[in-house]
Amino acid sequence: MNMKKMNKGLDFLRGKYGAAKGEITVKDGHCFVGSTPLLPGRMERKIVELKKMTENGTLEGVSTLRFSSFAPKGADLEAMLAKELDLAAYLGASDVVRVMAAASGAAINVLAKLANDVNVSVEIGAGLPKGAEPYDRHEIIAKRGVACDQTVDTHTKHESIRCWGADGMEEFTDVDTELFGLSYDEIWNVRAAFALLQKRADAKVWKAAWAKATKAAKLAFAADKSKAAKTIAVKKGLDTNQSIKVAEVR
Amino acid sequence: MKPVKIAMMGMTHGHTRKYYQTLLDNQKLDWVASCAQDVDAKKTYELYKTGVPCYLDPEEMYKKHPDIEAVVIASANDRHFEQVKWCAEKGIHILSMKIPTFDMKEYDEMIALCDKAGVVCQIELEMHYNSVVRRLKKLIADGAIGKIKSFQATNITLSPVWAFPWQGDPKASFGSVVPLKAGDPRFRGGALCDHPHIFDLIRHLTGSSFDYIYAEVAPNLRDGLKVEDMLMAVGKMKDGTSFLFDPSWSRLEEKLKVPGPGWERFPKRMEVNVTITGEKGMISCDCFGPNVYHNGAPNDRYTVQYTYFDEWIGLIDEFVACIREHKTPLINLKWHKETIQAMLGCYESIQSGKIAKVGGK
Repeated sequence: MNMKKMNKGLDFLRGKYGAAKGEITVKDGHCFVGSTPLLPGRMERKIVELKKMTENGTLEGVSTLRFSSFAPKGADLEAMLAKELDLAAYLGASDVVRVMAAASGAAINVLAKLANDVNVSVEIGAGLPKGAEPYDRHEIIAKRGVACDQTVDTHTKHESIRCWGADGMEEFTDVDTELFGLSYDEIWNVRAAFALLQKRADAKVWKAAWAKATKAAKLAFAADKSKAAKTIAVKKGLDTNQSIKVAEVR
Repeated sequence: MKPVKIAMMGMTHGHTRKYYQTLLDNQKLDWVASCAQDVDAKKTYELYKTGVPCYLDPEEMYKKHPDIEAVVIASANDRHFEQVKWCAEKGIHILSMKIPTFDMKEYDEMIALCDKAGVVCQIELEMHYNSVVRRLKKLIADGAIGKIKSFQATNITLSPVWAFPWQGDPKASFGSVVPLKAGDPRFRGGALCDHPHIFDLIRHLTGSSFDYIYAEVAPNLRDGLKVEDMLMAVGKMKDGTSFLFDPSWSRLEEKLKVPGPGWERFPKRMEVNVTITGEKGMISCDCFGPNVYHNGAPNDRYTVQYTYFDEWIGLIDEFVACIREHKTPLINLKWHKETIQAMLGCYESIQSGKIAKVGGK
């Protein structure tokens, strides 16, 4: 991630719409504003739309979440899993209370339970070639309706543009005109920082949510070693799975 | 920069609601008033709870808000001329919907009125502010596939006529009642009038002008519609680029009075898909994807739900910049004239059964 470009993008948004001062920094591969960890996954527009569907009546009676995430070799499996478990809690609107996992090489398969009894499966793999674009999939299965961020009847990621030129095929998916030129990950980290600085996202909530997600991911690896599910006690108090204000055009 | 005092007029156009969020969010704007064409349009506007006052008489709006600097004209096509004139005479800048008028005499008068008043008149062709189109323009400009030889594009949607009845009314949509062709009970003013984008995009990407166009209408999908809903066009640009366009209302819809979830019957409401063959390669492009997909409420059908809608943000940013920095919009009345002429060429070809030279040349 190019921090200079990201902070330039953040400054642009702050200047245009107004927001408190702040800067994105990176520690151990994760982005922060001050001491608050960013949750860029929650800002991805596909996740925003999925979250809306769980809240506006499009889906009724969520039962199961089926997630997967694949990245190039060398990626941090625990960080990838933490992100997915955070999204599971966010989209399932309930904290992770139990994890069981089976790991092998650069992959880990996780079966988790939310406090509201929703099941979550997460498949994590870091077996893509170096330089390949990461790929993920989030499916919500409910009593009324199934929603997913990948198209039905294909396991090929949708790309906005495929260009067959002199150097073979290149694919492009641009998702943010105001931040055009930043990578997918960079865009959602900038949007997350901006939401935080605009107070649309609550720093306390994000700190607590990320602490829960990283703890659950760590416990998943421990569960694999011990071959026994690990339980996580739910603390009463702050709801860390509330949606944040987003633009709406329907 | 002092925020631009802006208002909206008409409130009957299908794109009206798409401006609300941007007009409220953009700090360079102060959205002070709206003026609905009639009581029904006012009632629909009030459903969105923008908090911005809505009038029924433009003069009353102007009397209460004499500091209005700019107006988004969001009305039926046959109201545009009088509203452009109203704005220009007051020195008010204009953001016009995508069809200023199909009447070329009126069109030239609009140009003269705006030039005389020194006001900005930007045409709403929002695809230019879509991030996928921006990438497409960059790839073409960088020579990724060499010189364009062939351009195929769809601009296919559901039909908005149930929510916006003027779009099925030949007079309100086309501006006058003109039969499509001899022996055909339908009139000009349907799907074609809703879909100028691809006629514009090819001009930008090739840097060329239309030479000739040939179009055919197909049987309508919707019973009782007075205007065309299915058509295609083929032709050539002056640089030899061959093109094939589908600007149809080929995706069926529920007959909702107010657009909302469940409007679409085909899973995806709107597609602008482009394939371009160049001398060195080929591009395939979906301007509205990827998205999220569900089969939940209200109709339990497989549905494509869009995930981004940057177009209105960039469009308004450009409009504000043109007003404050005295610049000419990318899509201004003079540029857009040939796009309208190409669309008229489609109607002429449908009527004659022959190619139409665009602009009558």
